[in-house]
Amino acid sequence: MSMLDIWLGILQGFRVTASVTLYGLVFAIPFGLVFGVAQYLTTGLARVIVTAVIEFWRSSAVIILLFVFYYAMPVIGVTLPAMAVGAMVLGLNVGGYASQAVRAGLQALDRGQKEAGQALGLSRQAILLRIELPQALVAMSPTFINLVIQLVKATSLVSLITLTDMTFRAKEIAQIAYEPVPIYLSLLLAYFVACYPIALVGRWLERRVNPAREARHGL
Amino acid sequence: MGFDIDFALSTVPAILGAIGMTLLVALASCLGAATFGFCLEILRRPGGILGLVVRFLIDFIRATPVLVWLYCLYFILPFYGLRLSALTVGITGLSLYYSGYLAEVFKAGIDAIAKGQQEAARALGLGRLDSIIFVIAPQMLRNIAAPMGNYFVSILKATPYLAVLAVPEMLGQAFDIASETYRYAEPLTVAGLIFLALALAIAQAVKWLERRLSAPTSR
Repeated sequence: MSMLDIWLGILQGFRVTASVTLYGLVFAIPFGLVFGVAQYLTTGLARVIVTAVIEFWRSSAVIILLFVFYYAMPVIGVTLPAMAVGAMVLGLNVGGYASQAVRAGLQALDRGQKEAGQALGLSRQAILLRIELPQALVAMSPTFINLVIQLVKATSLVSLITLTDMTFRAKEIAQIAYEPVPIYLSLLLAYFVACYPIALVGRWLERRVNPAREARHGL
Repeated sequence: MGFDIDFALSTVPAILGAIGMTLLVALASCLGAATFGFCLEILRRPGGILGLVVRFLIDFIRATPVLVWLYCLYFILPFYGLRLSALTVGITGLSLYYSGYLAEVFKAGIDAIAKGQQEAARALGLGRLDSIIFVIAPQMLRNIAAPMGNYFVSILKATPYLAVLAVPEMLGQAFDIASETYRYAEPLTVAGLIFLALALAIAQAVKWLERRLSAPTSR
């Protein structure tokens, strides 16, 4: 099998990898925003509940979550396509991490920002949406980029629940031709090509947002 | 066929019995990742051609999924006649993958040490290796304890990936039960809950450690 055949074969799975990533973001972004803000604003029992939901998605091993939702939901009568399960589980897992970045970003803001808003007579909602969130989200943008990379990498797991992504295709090709070296190295390279440009964007953002800090976060 | 609580409970002892394997994998991988990671950082630090190569290697590791690394080692090594047990391959894979992350932790830990320390060590006539071992490393340990702890939790959550290579850790054990009984939902859910509890407990311990270490030192 020629190198070109291997690459074309792996590339066939790119659509699924990209779809799971994009649908995953559809879950991750709202979850991260809503729960991050909720954890920031709530107190008492409400905060305990919000934290419990976040911790469930964030602290579980994502590979087990994927299997549990794939195998256990049909048992209780909910049968979803593998794509939906994959996007939901991976998305909410990354969303859980994102919520912590949103909350940390909000907490790191100078108190004077909120107080100035109050002094101007803005409503709590206006202060959050027009003063706090824009600053917090910009400050945390490099972290969000890293989470996108984490999501792209995590999509390799959907090969285990029958979705034909790049990893699945590579394994398929490896079964036809016993050439594990070029096949799996090409697969590594394929993910690198997909993720590295995103990492470079993250580094550029890091320099823009936080020029003082030398720490090279990216990836 | 609903979710059978009694059956779920009956799988707890068998799955919990594999917790030792899970912890062994996590500890061994963490040690391996710390060793590789420290070497990577020490090689990268002086810069030059070698520094650039190592830097690229770290970026490459971080832009590729851990599952694909495990497949690579698992399928490529035997091709060259190197037959290792699935456990060894799994621990090596996790060690390699997380070394890319720990290298950054070591970098931050070393960067945080005052520059004068290194200069003083040189002024006292210590060689490069001696100054790393006796001056830099001890001070670095304190800086990196908390982030290391967080990565230990990450590694713990990655141990179920080894089930893919048929290592009998907790998820592997759950799959064994599932394939014997044709019931997937219950054992997988049990494994998921045990992992969640374990990850939360260790994360709490890390937080406690973080607070202890951030207490001001007596001078």
